[in-house]
Amino acid sequence: MTAVDETRAPSAEVGRDRRRKEDQHLITGRSRFTDNIVLPGMLHVAMVRRPYAHARITGIDASAAQESPGVVAVLTGDDVKDQQGSLPNAWPVTPEQKAPPHPAIAVDRVAFSGEVVAAVVARTAAAARDAAELVDVDYEELDPVVDLKAAAADEKLAHPDLGTNRSALWVFDSAEAGTGGDVEEAIRDAEVLVEREFRQQRLIPAFMEPRSVVVDPTGEQFTMWSATQVPHILRLMLALTLAVPESKIRVIAPDVGGGFGGKLQVTPEEVITFLVARRTGKPCKWTETRSESLLSGHHGRDQWQKLTLAARRDGTVTGLKVELTANMGAYLGLVTSGIPILGAFMFNAIYKFPSYRFECQNVFTNLTWTDAYRGAGRPEATFAIERMMDELATELGRDPIEVREQNWIKHEEFPFTTVAGLEYDSGNYEAATARAKELFGYDELRAEQARRRESGDRVQLGIGVSTFTEMCGLAPSRVLGSLSYGAGGWEHASVRMLPSGKVEVITGSSAHGQGHETAWSQIVADQLGVPFEDVEVLHGDTQISHKGLDTYGSRSLVVGGQAVIKAAQKVIDKARPLAAHVLEANVDDLEFAEGRFTVRGAGEGQEGIGLTDLALAVFAAHDLPDGMEPSLDADATYDPVNFSYPHGTHLCAMEVDTETGQSRMRAYVCVDDVGNVVNPLIVDGQVHGGLVQGIAQALWEEAVYDDQGTLVTGSFVDYTLPTSADTISYVTDRTVTPSTTNDLGAKGVGEAGTIASTPAVVNAVLDAVRQFGVTDIRMPMTPERVWRAIQEGRGSAPTPEAAQPHFEAGEPNQDTPETEGGQA
Amino acid sequence: MGMQLEHSFTVDASPEATWALLTDLESVGGCFPGATVTEADEQTFKGNVKVRLGPIAVTYQGEGRFLERDDAAHRAVIEGTGKGLRGLGNAGATVTMQLAPEGSGTRADVVTELSITGKPAQFGRGVMQTVSDKLLGQFVSCVESKLAGSAGG
Amino acid sequence: MIPAQFDYVAPATLEEALTLLSEHGDEAKVLAGGQSLLPVLRMRLNAPGVVVDISGIQELKEITDQGESIRIGAGATYQDVLDSPLVREHLGLLHKAVTEVADPQIRHRGTVCGALAHSDPAGDVGGPVLALDATMEVQSRGVVGPRQVAAADFFVDLFETAVGDGELLTAVTIPKHTGWGSHYEKFVRVSHQWAIIGVAAAVRAEGGTIAEAKVGLTNMGSVPLRATAVEQALVGLAATEEALAEACSLAGEGTDPPSDLNGQADYRRHLAGVLTRRAVLAAAGG
Repeated sequence: MTAVDETRAPSAEVGRDRRRKEDQHLITGRSRFTDNIVLPGMLHVAMVRRPYAHARITGIDASAAQESPGVVAVLTGDDVKDQQGSLPNAWPVTPEQKAPPHPAIAVDRVAFSGEVVAAVVARTAAAARDAAELVDVDYEELDPVVDLKAAAADEKLAHPDLGTNRSALWVFDSAEAGTGGDVEEAIRDAEVLVEREFRQQRLIPAFMEPRSVVVDPTGEQFTMWSATQVPHILRLMLALTLAVPESKIRVIAPDVGGGFGGKLQVTPEEVITFLVARRTGKPCKWTETRSESLLSGHHGRDQWQKLTLAARRDGTVTGLKVELTANMGAYLGLVTSGIPILGAFMFNAIYKFPSYRFECQNVFTNLTWTDAYRGAGRPEATFAIERMMDELATELGRDPIEVREQNWIKHEEFPFTTVAGLEYDSGNYEAATARAKELFGYDELRAEQARRRESGDRVQLGIGVSTFTEMCGLAPSRVLGSLSYGAGGWEHASVRMLPSGKVEVITGSSAHGQGHETAWSQIVADQLGVPFEDVEVLHGDTQISHKGLDTYGSRSLVVGGQAVIKAAQKVIDKARPLAAHVLEANVDDLEFAEGRFTVRGAGEGQEGIGLTDLALAVFAAHDLPDGMEPSLDADATYDPVNFSYPHGTHLCAMEVDTETGQSRMRAYVCVDDVGNVVNPLIVDGQVHGGLVQGIAQALWEEAVYDDQGTLVTGSFVDYTLPTSADTISYVTDRTVTPSTTNDLGAKGVGEAGTIASTPAVVNAVLDAVRQFGVTDIRMPMTPERVWRAIQEGRGSAPTPEAAQPHFEAGEPNQDTPETEGGQA
Repeated sequence: MGMQLEHSFTVDASPEATWALLTDLESVGGCFPGATVTEADEQTFKGNVKVRLGPIAVTYQGEGRFLERDDAAHRAVIEGTGKGLRGLGNAGATVTMQLAPEGSGTRADVVTELSITGKPAQFGRGVMQTVSDKLLGQFVSCVESKLAGSAGG
Repeated sequence: MIPAQFDYVAPATLEEALTLLSEHGDEAKVLAGGQSLLPVLRMRLNAPGVVVDISGIQELKEITDQGESIRIGAGATYQDVLDSPLVREHLGLLHKAVTEVADPQIRHRGTVCGALAHSDPAGDVGGPVLALDATMEVQSRGVVGPRQVAAADFFVDLFETAVGDGELLTAVTIPKHTGWGSHYEKFVRVSHQWAIIGVAAAVRAEGGTIAEAKVGLTNMGSVPLRATAVEQALVGLAATEEALAEACSLAGEGTDPPSDLNGQADYRRHLAGVLTRRAVLAAAGG
């Protein structure tokens, strides 16, 4: 059934652009982030991190730190080595996967710059910081493994004891899986073969609220407050890692200020703070500095991607081979090893490749470990395939949209089983693309591009195309099981009917800025026919929301939201016998709408009985049907049967100043199909934020290490995050083909903008400068890289002096409308 | 973060006289800007280096020694390692010196390599690269002036 | 990010400040807006014994008309300078450069003189101040009247100025350039960034011809630079792109700019030529 469709009632909450109910406390200073928590007698923890990417610890002298004013304890790896266990990796991607133990505090060796070697506990944060600098550690420096390709070749070892840097090789082959043909055959028979290698640079999540953790050991349970996306997973993993009964741990994620995957982790600092609190018997707090966050919070992306695309001369694609080298960094975090594998099913994207092979080599280096970052594996895949489709179009001398359309799944072909074995339930790529072209003014911009090219304008125009789909709503538990993931993908919800008529919704999804409180309230208001304001959404505390799998992978609405619907439906089902009892009618004759039970055929004027009235009756329990328990409350645990597959077409126009290499965004249009929308304002917010994050990968952000493994982009001076001043006004629109895999018909929107925007921007810049012989520019496309690419392109394929706008003294930006030119 | 500076100069003295000066660790070590040599013998020295540059003031405690010393070939490699105070990170320098007769005097080729890890490397904008280049430049010109001064006087 | 412990003193008068600086010598750091000092303290790349906060000294906050010049006190923030009608009318170049400094929060805290004393070659006010032939007032205890240092002599090296231990930069005095056209061309990747390079140009044009030009360069060396060869070559040229191009293309010649993540030295030199042409043309109203 589809609960939401075009004919929704005017009073319906779902589909309304409700202002977020959680914002008032967030923007009026009444927020409660972890660092705001102050407990009586609380101690503060400062981490001692050492600068070597790779070194053996030969001695630690903590005596000066211990004697420093206010210091309570100093803990080194030796002190905790028997208690700290190994930080969990929940996703061993192959049975043979190799990985070193992952200590919270390094014991005898540090494997990346920023790894914790000691923790100082003091009465104030300042005293802890002062003393941390007095911990004297002696090291024997080891040769760090910094370069990913060299690491893959095992030239030197990030973990000598492991004997290799290669953690796991994961392969999918459509011929072996029976989902398609043999890609080697396709490559052999190809009329057109496109081989390219791309670099996915390393990024840093850079959430707004730095990580923070408070542990209170003074109650019956250890209570941990943490700036985490995953309180439920964290609780379980703490129990397993530290051998503490799970029932003795309570994890609370209070207000959490963003995550983008960066807080989908069980961190060394959470484990250390727990150990320190247990040892001292006092509440302990650790809050990171921004430098610590950039240095030691997990990073994202970081791959080399080699792709081979086979096609016929007429543009029909016949095969795709993907060879990835993925940088794990120094250790495997919670899902580090699985992140690139999430891309395995997405390189074929929206296209009908008859054959496909994906290989991913996971590799260790002496850099900060990588893990989930917005999109996790899928932006990497989309980037590569969308670059390849442009390369194919260039090779064939055809319009990039036309070549895509020739190969994509037509709307009448859904449901469609892909060469990677996924079943796409719904979509309409033609409709989204047509709308995007219209909003963009595609033909006009192409004409302007031709004019500028013809006149040798100093500022050249490029148009970038990107389409995408993603598998979101992680995930059907069976699929996760087949991928050796350590948990399922269900979600839990409860609906509690309070006697006063108010409704409490408990969700296992753990919001950290997404607006779940608002969206869930809208859903429940419609389901139960109660006012939006009467719904209270509770989450993020394992003693309130006792069961859940948290928030990541665009899963909250399509899995968690569906669980809420299931729970609400159970409430109605439980209320039905009582309603029949009160109305003295047969259960089968009852109808439920707009919050009231009425009797079918009893006429228009009947009052019936409201669900909230029944909630009060159940509370009193004076007159219930025989055998009915006095409760309407209900739980539901929902396991999705399939992923959901949002898609979209993004078009970007970039102006490139050929004299300086500076590029400027001229226009950006995206038309996304995220299925039915619960709250368009929240969806727009997700899309806008996602776009900026993806554009930032294309133009601005990169974590850079020097040859000794020191992070040189260790502050926002060099890790150039954009601000609103660097963005333009994006044009966003939607087409809707409801998902068939959940009652809402929703598809997930958390990652959409990030996934599609990166290739759109890169394709646009390249489109502007291909005429100079440029074939690729590494991300981020800094002005210098663009300028050098133009210089080198011209050098390798010299163009006549007259055609070089750089040296032309003509008027800038003069279009000559009468001229026409070809496209790339 | 690592950098290297190559520098050559000639002094108006014999290679032997120059060599004696160059292998005086106290004197060479003291040439590093902000350095104070606290102890020195034939093979090693200890001291500290205070780098003061505008807003930055950091101190390294360090020691140095000969990695190689060939009195006959007039070639020496001196290694200095410094541990930064206040959790700063470490710095290391390797100075390779080679003397050869040139005309009536001596030609000295000095290659200095400096590596800095930790916080200063994260200062941003590659400023520490510029700083290090400058420190190395000052070091070499100090060595040069000492030699020229002694040899000339 | 917690700085190491230090003593904090906030004198109310210049006299008190100078006394403190003379007492504490190189153990003291001066805090005006704190936009450069505080990050360094928080990163613990410095741990001064005493921080002398001069932001409460009223007499340093003034921006005054000195007849032939405008005097900007050490306590005047970027925003004070932006808001000053005197600066807007007589020092258009400085006004334009200050609009490009970082972001509004920083402009409301940071001071022009603080930036000059910090002597970061990537700062946006060094180039304009140098180009406009400013004079710095440096004071110390026991010396009557300020020592006047020409801008050309003020910037010594990266983070080094003519201000010695115990001395304080109390004001910058800049000759009026009333009626001059001006433009500050700042090249950045993201808007709040330090200048990758910047070109400050002021032009006095007479009937479409450049009568006089002043050009300062940001982040093209270890100190702000003055492109004097370009300035001379520009005199007498028509204010058109064709006429200016060759003279301006020389701007990067002989400079030794830094190489970093945002650009190698050769790229910066190339940019200097391009951006100087654009800045001069814009200043000349072309």
